[in-house]
Amino acid sequence: MREITDYAIKRLEDSDIQYGDIRFSDILIQSIQVRNGSVESIKDNNSRGFGIRIIHGGWGFASSSVLSKKGIDETINRAKKIAKASGKTSEGVEIKDVDVYEDKYVNDYKKDPFEIDLDEKIDYLVEANERLNIDEKINVRTSNFKAWRFIKEFASTEGARIEQELVQCGGGLSVTASDGDDVQTRSYPNSFGGDYSSRGYEFFEGLDLLDNAEKTAQEGVDLLKAEQCPEGKMNIILNTNQLALQVHESCGHPTELDRALGTEASYAGTSFMTPNKLGKLRYGSDIVHITSDATAKGGLGTFGYDDEGVKAKKVDLVKDGIFVGYQASREDAAQVDVEVSGSMRADGWRNLPLVRMTNINLEPGDWSRKEIIEETDKGIIFDGIKSWSIDDKRLNFMFGTEAGYLVEDGEVKKLIKNPTYTGITYEFWRRCNAISGEDDWKLHGVPNCGKGEPPQVMRVGHGVAPARFEDVTVGVGKW
Amino acid sequence: MVSEDLESSAKKILDKVEVDEVEVLIQRKDKALTRYANSKIHQNVGQKDFDVSIRAILGKKIGSVSTNSVDEKSLVDALRRAENIAKHQKEDPDFIVLPEPKEDRSGKENYFEETVGYTPDQRAEKVKEIIEYASSKGVDRMYGAFETETIEVLVANTNGIMKSSRMSKANLTATAIADWDNDQGFGWSEQCSANVKDIDHMNVAKTAVDKGLNNMDTESIEPGEYTVVLEPLAVNTMLMYLAMMGMSAKKVQEKRSFMNGKFGEKIMDERVNIFDDAMHDEMIGFPFDYEGVPKQRVDIVKNGIANDVVYDSYTAGRDEEDKGSTGHALPMPNPMSPMPLNLMMDTGDASIQEMIEDTEKGILVTRFNYCRPVHPVKGILTGLTRDGTWRIEDGEVTQPLKNLRFTQNLLDAFSNVELIGAERVLFSLGYYPGYTSVPAMKIPKFNFTGTTEF
Repeated sequence: MREITDYAIKRLEDSDIQYGDIRFSDILIQSIQVRNGSVESIKDNNSRGFGIRIIHGGWGFASSSVLSKKGIDETINRAKKIAKASGKTSEGVEIKDVDVYEDKYVNDYKKDPFEIDLDEKIDYLVEANERLNIDEKINVRTSNFKAWRFIKEFASTEGARIEQELVQCGGGLSVTASDGDDVQTRSYPNSFGGDYSSRGYEFFEGLDLLDNAEKTAQEGVDLLKAEQCPEGKMNIILNTNQLALQVHESCGHPTELDRALGTEASYAGTSFMTPNKLGKLRYGSDIVHITSDATAKGGLGTFGYDDEGVKAKKVDLVKDGIFVGYQASREDAAQVDVEVSGSMRADGWRNLPLVRMTNINLEPGDWSRKEIIEETDKGIIFDGIKSWSIDDKRLNFMFGTEAGYLVEDGEVKKLIKNPTYTGITYEFWRRCNAISGEDDWKLHGVPNCGKGEPPQVMRVGHGVAPARFEDVTVGVGKW
Repeated sequence: MVSEDLESSAKKILDKVEVDEVEVLIQRKDKALTRYANSKIHQNVGQKDFDVSIRAILGKKIGSVSTNSVDEKSLVDALRRAENIAKHQKEDPDFIVLPEPKEDRSGKENYFEETVGYTPDQRAEKVKEIIEYASSKGVDRMYGAFETETIEVLVANTNGIMKSSRMSKANLTATAIADWDNDQGFGWSEQCSANVKDIDHMNVAKTAVDKGLNNMDTESIEPGEYTVVLEPLAVNTMLMYLAMMGMSAKKVQEKRSFMNGKFGEKIMDERVNIFDDAMHDEMIGFPFDYEGVPKQRVDIVKNGIANDVVYDSYTAGRDEEDKGSTGHALPMPNPMSPMPLNLMMDTGDASIQEMIEDTEKGILVTRFNYCRPVHPVKGILTGLTRDGTWRIEDGEVTQPLKNLRFTQNLLDAFSNVELIGAERVLFSLGYYPGYTSVPAMKIPKFNFTGTTEF
């Protein structure tokens, strides 16, 4: 597709615009879901097209799937008209200078998930699904696999020429059990489809769905008769699948500089982490260190270059508990004079790039999960995302997980159902008093982060190790 | 009328079928969206796309492929890939056959040339007027999006279905932040229509600005049970989540619906009537679903009684008594299908002002934010208020409040309803071409479980 991007860049360079870039993408997605023993769906989705960004008085973006010179000319003209219209309310656009690259990047994977025989994938998922079938109370059993291949080419009027190939995959299991009085769901290794990585089929194999099916199903059934989560304030321990979401919602989104500057105010909202608090706000306790790291090996938010051509990098967001950095685009960084973080991504060629999380990671601490539990007199372990809600400045949150485990006198005593906890973001993170170390640290892939208008769904990563928070409100609502 | 090229593309596929059955779904979209923030246009996009989805069926084995390449070779390649997947598939014993042709219900076409031809300049001019109006009233900054879109859809299958339709949509949102420096004065408004000429951008601006200017110096209120007056957008959110939590046959068949075991029983106040009707005069909808089945009106909650749910052809075939699809399939295969995409609720006889005057002590809510089910089968939802929450005292709106978190059983809320608004408002769901049309409601004993700082 080099001829497409070369032609577009020549046309852009020949026009009277301030800046222009083109991003061509060829996207292949394969999804397989087995439900109650039958293959509910197998779908291959292939999509090719390009998006053109222009600064010409204001920003303009147009996309098209017509891969011809005529299609490019029409799309450039459309983007120019849109940019000129934007200029009616704008006093111009400034973007921060960055290094310009000509490069190729392919992420590290061993087994191409699209080359694995379809029968092998189906048979594996059907077998995993059958192993979930342990009790007549289980109404719904799902096992699923999903893989993506992105072939991308980015070129800009500044001289950037970047080709990338990203291969990602993963999957998971889930059961829903019912006894006439209650309905409960349990998933492995996480809810909403499982876990994902920028690795090949070897990652999916490593999830070991077969050996984890029976335990997952049994816990789904056991939850029906488990005790209701107690109400009150107590220690909570977040396992990695839930802590990944906690980091995502309460640190990932509020440190997106576009949100902090108000550009998402009418939709997703703004942020309590405003630029005047940079370097001052005590976000968490001293042991809290959170980074944005697009270089993390295998992360679902790992790449070579973002969709503005910025090389992948690692940036501190919270260091020693203090808010120190943002995820920032070239335009946003120019407004606040912070580092461009290399976080601009679009979910495909149709949409324009936005500031999106890469891998937002809670760096490891110096405990072990075992030690944290042993050193907890009373508390609840939260596991498996079920419900998540947070206000439009990312302050008041409430999360529910599929399962909870009551800890007493340093031991896990029993399973509890419908566990919920709530708090205010910075108060919560200031109560973090133990983080597990590297041995317990796990990089989760979240494939469904929504943002923007038109809405986009992005794949992001979160590396975390189990952590404990003291004096947290649990057991919310009337049951 | 839909362009002949869609039909031509479908025929290119159907002429080459080598399996038992094939379904072709073609969607062509032309979408433009002008987004403004901090009182200037910051994102402004135009998207054109063409998507062809093919379902190939061999006995009871199904394979699916989608592509946006429209030349004949690519379409036939996609068909062959779908057929090949079907050959590798396991049988799905619950699959019967693809639908047969049936005549659609008659109704208006929701397609307007004014929307189709709307230009970036026209959107920018309206946005500029909104910004200038807000500034003249002392509002610091305005935010929102002005979207115009046209969608053409064609469904064809080897059983003889070949039908197409088209619709247009215009949606304008506006958020006012009256006092940016002190982070206060949030106000919201929006309007949706198939015809962009019906969008009263100045009325949208005025509502958002008025709410913003009247939402300064907010106070905290203790969480607890309060009577609420919910504006239509807040009711829309509750109804949307109720739909997700159990108004489909699939949820019922899998015992995951709040309606399980309750059909024929009273689950809401007897004045509550919830139905799905794509062909209603107030609604925007296609006359058929993504399998080409005519969309029926489905009375989901009738006089407060759990009455029915929506079906696609697959879930209809799974019921012991096959009532047939109600025309609520999503693009298949789809774990979320079937789904009601044109939900409506019967009106009552109260205005919002009358609801306020009828309230001794309560809270007025503009809209909810980031809601999520806590326990879908029990109908428990949590979320927060946003962009305008006020205390009501002795029949008057008195004091702007900081936002509150609610954790509420929605069946209890719809059972406790005291007053229902006399007017419905149309909202775009933002996914598929989905819409709701709902009134305001006054509900006592609404459970707020937390507060936030703004």
